[in-house]
Amino acid sequence: MIRRLLIANRGEIAVRIIRACRELDIETVAVYSDADAGAAHTVAADQAVPIGPAAAKDSYLAIPSLMSAARATGADAVHPGYGFLSENAGFARACEEAGLVFVGPPSAVMARMGSKIEARRTMEAAGVPVVPGMVPDDQTDEGIRRAIAQIGYPALIKATSGGGGKGMREVTSLSEADASIQAARREAQQAFGNGTLFVERLIHHPFHVEVQIFADAHGHAIHVFERECSVQRRHQKVIEESPSPHLTPALRERITRAAVQAAIASGYRNAGTCEFLVDLSAGDADTAPFYFLEMNTRLQVEHAVTELVAGVDLVRAQLLVASGEPLPWTQAALSQRGHAIEARVYAEDPRQGFLPQAGRLLRYREPRLPGVRIDSGVREADAISVYYDPMIAKVIAHAETRALAIARLREALQAFPILGITTNIPFLLQLLAHDRFTRAEIDTGFLDRHVDEFAPPDQTALLPFARAAIDAEARQGSSTVGSRADAGQADPWQQLTGWRMA
Amino acid sequence: MSDPAVQRIGPGAYIVSIGGRREIVHVALDGATQWAHVRGEVFRLTADDHGSQRQASTSPAARELGVLPITAPMPAKVLKVMAVAGAAVKKGETLVILEAMKMELPLRASADGVIVAVHCREGELVQPDAVLVELS
Repeated sequence: MIRRLLIANRGEIAVRIIRACRELDIETVAVYSDADAGAAHTVAADQAVPIGPAAAKDSYLAIPSLMSAARATGADAVHPGYGFLSENAGFARACEEAGLVFVGPPSAVMARMGSKIEARRTMEAAGVPVVPGMVPDDQTDEGIRRAIAQIGYPALIKATSGGGGKGMREVTSLSEADASIQAARREAQQAFGNGTLFVERLIHHPFHVEVQIFADAHGHAIHVFERECSVQRRHQKVIEESPSPHLTPALRERITRAAVQAAIASGYRNAGTCEFLVDLSAGDADTAPFYFLEMNTRLQVEHAVTELVAGVDLVRAQLLVASGEPLPWTQAALSQRGHAIEARVYAEDPRQGFLPQAGRLLRYREPRLPGVRIDSGVREADAISVYYDPMIAKVIAHAETRALAIARLREALQAFPILGITTNIPFLLQLLAHDRFTRAEIDTGFLDRHVDEFAPPDQTALLPFARAAIDAEARQGSSTVGSRADAGQADPWQQLTGWRMA
Repeated sequence: MSDPAVQRIGPGAYIVSIGGRREIVHVALDGATQWAHVRGEVFRLTADDHGSQRQASTSPAARELGVLPITAPMPAKVLKVMAVAGAAVKKGETLVILEAMKMELPLRASADGVIVAVHCREGELVQPDAVLVELS
């Protein structure tokens, strides 16, 4: 069993992993950059080690600093969390070579699944459906045009070494093909130094459904059901839920079976996620086509949705499996109970094009409500810096039905005062009340196409309440707002942050 | 509408009753900026709205001369400075590129004019409302 775990991450996910270690009697080592001295995750761990300057590339992404922190503290295992180095096969390999247990898949599997082309080839060979497409051997304009004709319109041209939308073009007709091919090649060459193009079918208005998979070193590979993640803004997930309102029992059976096949075919170990695009345009969900998109070889931000709906602890299972133990559950023992839904609270201003915000949390009071879990890595008076992801907290609600879970999540977000930094909570509340959301009609492109429908609400009715309280506070002469002394006071609204399960 | 009844229930937390409606309000005062939270809605007011003084981001003298300040909207690193003192610029021209949270944020001239002064260097960290460039 793992004895001492170094967590190569920060914020809420580091705190979440530390909580699971406590229950398993595993000692924890937190790491922190200069910007994170004294941060919640450093306080929660048994010990904390500085690893470098604020910029992530000099600290949370600096493999040599992390390896020497592991050596210096005598850690025997490393958990990468999500983001940062979690999908960096070089980091997994460095851990393996240093004799450290890496809490994730073997580095070779990570490397294979990290390559779009190789992952696609592995899935095709295993009989997992992929979006129809190809890398034409003939990379001339003529060759790419022939490939498009073969795959059919609308098509999507992508850079093989691409990402972030660069070198990507939609082609809806032959007349625009040449211009798009040349533009995509130019962009790919400039951005990635490689102009090789890939052609695939464009799926219109798809839904994003992903399957949690888990495999151990004893030949067990299972799934822990799906998560619906179609509510996205610029490919960034905003709301995640389980069960997916789009899956019928027959479609769930097909898609989870494909995900387990993918896990077996790739030689997967530990927790991972298979992302699929589901095409519901033909109407019948039972027989709807779905396509493998990519495999995420790590824990997901939205893992808590699965934990609540299936009643399991995925991080604990990760630590057990990494230690060489068998999976703690069989497929037959798992079921989805009720409905779980998560909202990501970001420091961003929906009124200014979702511009990320930084500053100090002058007030930060997590609500305590039945059926609501909050994963966070900040406390009142903490600063949200410009250096890292602007996510402040995840709010996850669990209830008997989707409608009740949505109502519960809205209630939790309304009772979550965050002052000093503008957040997306008013936007989340608009979204959760929107007809298209309650009817589960939001596909992956919806928010980007209809962002105007989530315009800021009219606040005037509540303004007199705000004014009256501000006047009272000004008379009170509170000079210690947001200070540590204030935050530490005995106060029912101020509780220790972190992982709670209701 | 009746006068508001306000009851303090904890640090920065109040129950406000107006005309039979009752809401919990959380507030935080930060210099001239006043924040309040009511039912998931956040209000960000300045002391101006209540009759007290508001902090000015430019000197009164500068304002009289018609100088337009270009300020940092958030804490950020200065990635690139295009503005050169004395140069004429067109509205919309990029003056400074900031970087925050892995995103580039271009600051553009809000009007045609001449750069009066540049107050930032590449690589420097700047705070919100810091005047980076002055435009006349």
